[in-house]
Amino acid sequence: MNVLICDDSAFARKQMARALPNDWPVTLHFAEHGQQGLEQILSGHGDLVFLDLTMPIMDGYQVLQALKEQEVRTKVVVVSGDIQPEARRQVLELGALDFIKKPCSSEDILALLLRLDLYQPGQTELTTQGGVNLTVEARDVYQELANVAMGQAADLLARMLGGFVILPIPNVNVLEVSELHMALNSAASSGTLSAVCQGFIGAGIAGEALVLFHDSSFADLAKLMGHTDQVTKSVELELLMDMSNVLIGAFLRGFANQLDTPFSQGHPVVLGQHRPIEELIQANRHRWRRTLAIEINYQIRDHQVQCDLLLLFTEDSIQFMNNKILHLM
Amino acid sequence: MEIREFHWLMNIIQNLEVGLVVLDTDNRIQVWNGFMESHSSRLSYEVKDKDLFELYPELDRVWLERKLNMVKTLNNKAFISWEQRPFLFHFSNYRPITGTATHMYQNITIMPLPDFTGEIQHLAILIYDVTDQAVARLTATPA
Repeated sequence: MNVLICDDSAFARKQMARALPNDWPVTLHFAEHGQQGLEQILSGHGDLVFLDLTMPIMDGYQVLQALKEQEVRTKVVVVSGDIQPEARRQVLELGALDFIKKPCSSEDILALLLRLDLYQPGQTELTTQGGVNLTVEARDVYQELANVAMGQAADLLARMLGGFVILPIPNVNVLEVSELHMALNSAASSGTLSAVCQGFIGAGIAGEALVLFHDSSFADLAKLMGHTDQVTKSVELELLMDMSNVLIGAFLRGFANQLDTPFSQGHPVVLGQHRPIEELIQANRHRWRRTLAIEINYQIRDHQVQCDLLLLFTEDSIQFMNNKILHLM
Repeated sequence: MEIREFHWLMNIIQNLEVGLVVLDTDNRIQVWNGFMESHSSRLSYEVKDKDLFELYPELDRVWLERKLNMVKTLNNKAFISWEQRPFLFHFSNYRPITGTATHMYQNITIMPLPDFTGEIQHLAILIYDVTDQAVARLTATPA
């Protein structure tokens, strides 16, 4: 089944994709506005569509209207922050199956899919087209490894910043390259995200660590780090690098200790500054489609500082890692 | 370690095509390898035990000391990209004839060097020449 997520916000798309059941055997597609969404639906990418209402170029109402006019029978679930009864009445009248409010949790989605009879839980193992296999047990182990490593990184971060780091729960997942593409793209285009990536390798395990930093966090972070000057682009870059040095360094060390494999780290690269992100990912597109990802969202208490640490492992690494963790299962 | 082995290991460090500087906690230079000697025109015995910031007053002391301290207290590597600062040490382009940049762009890694007890008394600074990479990227996207 083809599932289309149509939303102009990259975050909302990502969040939505994450909220879907992990073992749901569907192919995900994304669209950034209504017109793109409609094109995708017409080319058969939308057996089920999660549709946002407020979008540029063509909004959700217009998409529903167009589908109705062209008599395209596709299942549409409207996902919107606008939960007024009138909006609800209107979209249902235009043929939407259901209406859920944004942001939606995985429980909301699960309830919805069960209600619409689109998903039966626990039927399939976590298999993907890319060849990444992750059993529930293995995922638990990675989750635990990530927990410990993340705690160490949080400790260093707290010491560097002198603040309290809210301990997040790491998200271990199989990530679509399109999702990554989206996240990085928004880092490049919108200017609301900055990103640093750093390769690591050791004993057959290789991957990349990414730090995605919300630009609104810079002002507070500068204060925490004792920068008194105006927060210029170069100060932002400085903060970004300090942050990624600590987060990636500490996480990798914690992870490496547990796997008993030291990692070498390559020099970090600032994304989107001098290199178009499209280019970076496009080149790798044919090589991997889905892979193991550990995602951690760090926040500092009482401060507007938010950043994501993303660890992506190559498909080849999974086998080596699975062997390494055998004794832990 | 055998003395013979030690000898060739030192040889490698001396001839590595990467700059290596080891500082003690008072920022005094303990190691200054061949790469650093060649590009700085300062020989190892001339700089040994000298304060780095006295030798290079043009270094942004506040900034670099903050980085060094962070590496020491957190026992965690720090990376500095040429995009942040084009260089740490102002060296000439390694290819003076065919190179287009006037100076060497540098990526920097600062590593903690714990001693036997785990205490960090020394820090290593690695200096990589990334001029080609930097020039390629700077010319690919007009700033």
